[in-house]
Amino acid sequence: MSVSSRSTRDPIYTPPESPTGSYYDLSDDNELDYNTITHTSTGRSVKLLYSKSKVYVHPSASQKDNIAGFMALLQQKAPAGQSSSSSSASEASQVLLAWIPESALGDAYDTYVKVDLIDAESPPRQSYLVPPPPASYSTGSSSMGNYAFAIPVSQIYSMLIRPPNIGWWWGSLVINSRSGDSFPALFFHDSECASTIAQSKRRARKTFDPFGEDGRLFWGGDEVLRWLRRYVRVEKSQVEPMLYLVDPTKEDLVSFVTKSIVDLKINEGSSSAGAAMDPITKVFKEARWGLLERLTRVTQFTRRTAETILDSPQVPPQVRRLLKNPEVVNLQDEFDSARLYLARWAMGIAEQSEREHQRMIWTNRDIMELEDTDVGEFEILEMDTGRDAAKRKPLTLQEWNKWFDRHGKLTVTVDEVKDRVFHGGIEEGEARKEIWLWLLDVYPWDSTLDERIALISSKRDEYYRLKGKWWDDFERRSNDEYWRDQKNRIEKDVHRTDRNVPIFAGEDIPHPDQDSPYSEVGTNVHLEQMKDMLLTYNEYNTTLGYVQGMSDMLAPIYAVMQDDAVAFWAFVGFMERTERNFLRDQSGMRAQLVALDHLVQLMDPKLYAHLESADSTNFFFFFRMLLVWFKREFKWDDVLRLWEVLWTNFLSSQYHLFIALAILDRHRTVIMDHLRQFDEVLKYVNELSNTIDLKLTLIRAEALFKKFQRTVETVDRKRAAAQGKGKGVTQRRPVAARAGSSSANVTASGSSAATANGTCTVEDDGPSISDDLRKLLSREIMRPDPTASSAASASSKP
Amino acid sequence: MASRKKPMLKVIILGDSGVGKTSLMNQYVNKKFTTSYKATIGADFLTKEVLVDDRLVSMQLWDTAGQERFQSLGVAFYRGADCCVLVYDVNNAKSFDTLDSWRDEFLIQASPRDPDNFPFVVLGNKIDVEEKKRAISQKRAMGFCQSKGGIPYFETSAKEAVNVEQAFEIIARNALAQEESEEFTGDFQDPINIHLDNEASGCAC
Ligand SMILES: Nc1nc2c(ncn2[C@@H]2O[C@H](COP(=O)(O)OP(=O)(O)OP(=O)(O)O)[C@@H](O)[C@H]2O)c(=O)[nH]1
Ligand SMILES: [Mg+2]
Repeated sequence: MSVSSRSTRDPIYTPPESPTGSYYDLSDDNELDYNTITHTSTGRSVKLLYSKSKVYVHPSASQKDNIAGFMALLQQKAPAGQSSSSSSASEASQVLLAWIPESALGDAYDTYVKVDLIDAESPPRQSYLVPPPPASYSTGSSSMGNYAFAIPVSQIYSMLIRPPNIGWWWGSLVINSRSGDSFPALFFHDSECASTIAQSKRRARKTFDPFGEDGRLFWGGDEVLRWLRRYVRVEKSQVEPMLYLVDPTKEDLVSFVTKSIVDLKINEGSSSAGAAMDPITKVFKEARWGLLERLTRVTQFTRRTAETILDSPQVPPQVRRLLKNPEVVNLQDEFDSARLYLARWAMGIAEQSEREHQRMIWTNRDIMELEDTDVGEFEILEMDTGRDAAKRKPLTLQEWNKWFDRHGKLTVTVDEVKDRVFHGGIEEGEARKEIWLWLLDVYPWDSTLDERIALISSKRDEYYRLKGKWWDDFERRSNDEYWRDQKNRIEKDVHRTDRNVPIFAGEDIPHPDQDSPYSEVGTNVHLEQMKDMLLTYNEYNTTLGYVQGMSDMLAPIYAVMQDDAVAFWAFVGFMERTERNFLRDQSGMRAQLVALDHLVQLMDPKLYAHLESADSTNFFFFFRMLLVWFKREFKWDDVLRLWEVLWTNFLSSQYHLFIALAILDRHRTVIMDHLRQFDEVLKYVNELSNTIDLKLTLIRAEALFKKFQRTVETVDRKRAAAQGKGKGVTQRRPVAARAGSSSANVTASGSSAATANGTCTVEDDGPSISDDLRKLLSREIMRPDPTASSAASASSKP
Repeated sequence: MASRKKPMLKVIILGDSGVGKTSLMNQYVNKKFTTSYKATIGADFLTKEVLVDDRLVSMQLWDTAGQERFQSLGVAFYRGADCCVLVYDVNNAKSFDTLDSWRDEFLIQASPRDPDNFPFVVLGNKIDVEEKKRAISQKRAMGFCQSKGGIPYFETSAKEAVNVEQAFEIIARNALAQEESEEFTGDFQDPINIHLDNEASGCAC
């Protein structure tokens, strides 16, 4: 512990008292009298107005290194020529806020202790003179080695104040100056501080209320703030919860930080050179605690430096510079999780700058990155051609209608439609409402308008017939245990599904069922429709039962259609594609995770090896994404766009796995450099939610798919050639056990030569393509394997 | 710089879907309740640093989906746990009846060295709901806990932050004790490594 013992000190030094006893009219002479005290360069002394003991600097994560000190308010003499007017502006420039380590105080230590214990509401009537603080603000910021500082209170720009967390953490304070410096964080060790202990005891006695102003536990920082307010106006920022601004402008108050982050532009080449702090550093420093607050949710990181990320070509130079800033480095050492946060943050900035130069072509870097994954040549997509640009605009109803003859029959090929939707998506509104019914197989592609009108009307009847099966069956509704259980499950989830989307928000009608847990909250008509549709789906698919995730998949369809009967059949079409995600034995999910495993092994062996070392090749961290098709990862509008792209099956019915691969690929550097354990990978991937750029992901996925396709072709060609030359001694390794096993049945050539039985070796015939992988080229919908599970597709189709 | 080695405690929160696992965890870690939490899909965890008898420890709280169907994939997380929290909804009898099977399932999958002394904590959540909806009395819940070897029991409300802090303090304490006892046996397992290979055999349904 660094609490130095004072008992061995020389006799207590008592500073001379001011003859007048008055605080304001202390003359120069008095101060000169005091000059006999040593160690001041100017030979002057200052008045100690207020002091608080046991305020620490924590230079490292280790308790041993903590430095105890005093926080103090000191009054220096007014500069020559300026009368000691009582105007607060001049007073504020004379009053210094300082932090001084105990060890630097010398004989003045006892004065500081004494003033700490005075515990008055206002400065002592008696003048306590002490030497000027060792480091002064005018000579520049405190160096890292010497933490002491003093700053005129008028020069304080902002303070980040973090109250203690119910005794588990010390409250802390960071001061930022107007010139952009940040002083070291000060930690209030209240349990050691005599004045704070006395004050909180007194408080508890007086009011039986140990809480401070905001109802929080009283702590040392409250006092400092109160004292500071005697000299300057201190206001809480309306934006950053822990930020306090000193003499702020109105604009500062509402726009601080958030605005600067939004405005943050990474313009190449325009970085202001020289000593001036770049805006990112400034924002970062000031948002320090704000950042850390958000970090509490992050996984534990083992001790690791951020250096690797600095070398990543994706991180703009400014950010790289920031990450090397000693203070930021220190922060990363202090908080393990800061590193993960920073890595992600840097990544976000990289994404943003990428979006800024968003040209629809692959940059050289992207190509190199893909080349880096060692599979064959890579074909640049023809994305910057004029034809392509038009193709990448959403399909409008007008354009769509032109494709029909007078019987309402499609005159273009199905592939043309799919190509169009795959690359451009569909305009929101009526176009979506219509075209989704085609994509989801409600309408046959060769139907006429009359046929469709008839079809939809019979589908509507069918929906009400199915719904009637439970709706009209009072007996079942009141006594059938299974039915009631299903109803409860559905209700509980519907009430937790997309409530931020306007049609699902609010509760404006009373709940129809008094016994429901939601009877008090109420409901709304759309929630009720959703529940009915999901219950009715159980009548259509009688073996599956409601599974969590289904409500997530229905909500967008219902919201677009806003017609329960029509939306129901579109949902049926969606479930046709995803039913295997919901099987009782989870075999469908396992199969997809295994397919993803093989895909990553083939496409990015280095990343795969890393995931293996991080125990992450179960790919469980993609479970949520694959189960509900990225519903939780993208914003609502992006989900609609992504799903319509996926529904086309234009390149593959398993295209969602390529979306997953694209997301993984985008983050491979961070993952490889920073994430070493399963929990870290899981947390990182979970927290990508709402940060992923859909457009870039779609482009990347397409490139990866093309690359995959070529790889398969190349492998097949080589294989055929090898066999043609009669070198056909090579034999396939037995296909490794599939479900659940992460063992490779795709292995890069040479990496494992011997087969299981050891009789034949795989020669240089390159990687082999597993069946799981080959299936990814198929556009056929994958349905549950009828032999795999009892809950297979034995649905009672109408 | 001295390295800071603080223990990492792994806590698994189990219970039927909708009993309030996600809400409890967020109330404890983030001090807030909102009705906008979605049904949990897959798994996630939050970390909180806590002081247990002057020791700073990191507690990793794992939240998984409550639907039985997803348990076969979740079991991989159980391994290396230091404490298991069983949550039920005091207004929902079924969620109480399943506690036993959650407990059994956990013991099978996590296979702690000394199952009889593995720390569990039971939370009866949603006590803020009107009394007439209450399905499980405190007496009944305590009877269950006693029969299972004296499991600590708390009645909580994630919504109104009742007993949440207190419950998790006990959870942290018990988890730390468990972690220390495991360390003594010398076979220290990294609590967060999980292996798919073993998981294939563990279909829970
Ligand atoms: N009245 C009340 N409602 C609660 C409380 N805790 C949770 N809820 C509500 O109960 C529902 C389910 O809560 P969650 O926390 O999502 O439940 P969960 O156990 O995580 O559910 P799954 O993720 O599906 O396993 C939500 O509507 C919550 O708002 C509580 O203490 N009181
Ligand atoms: Mg949950």
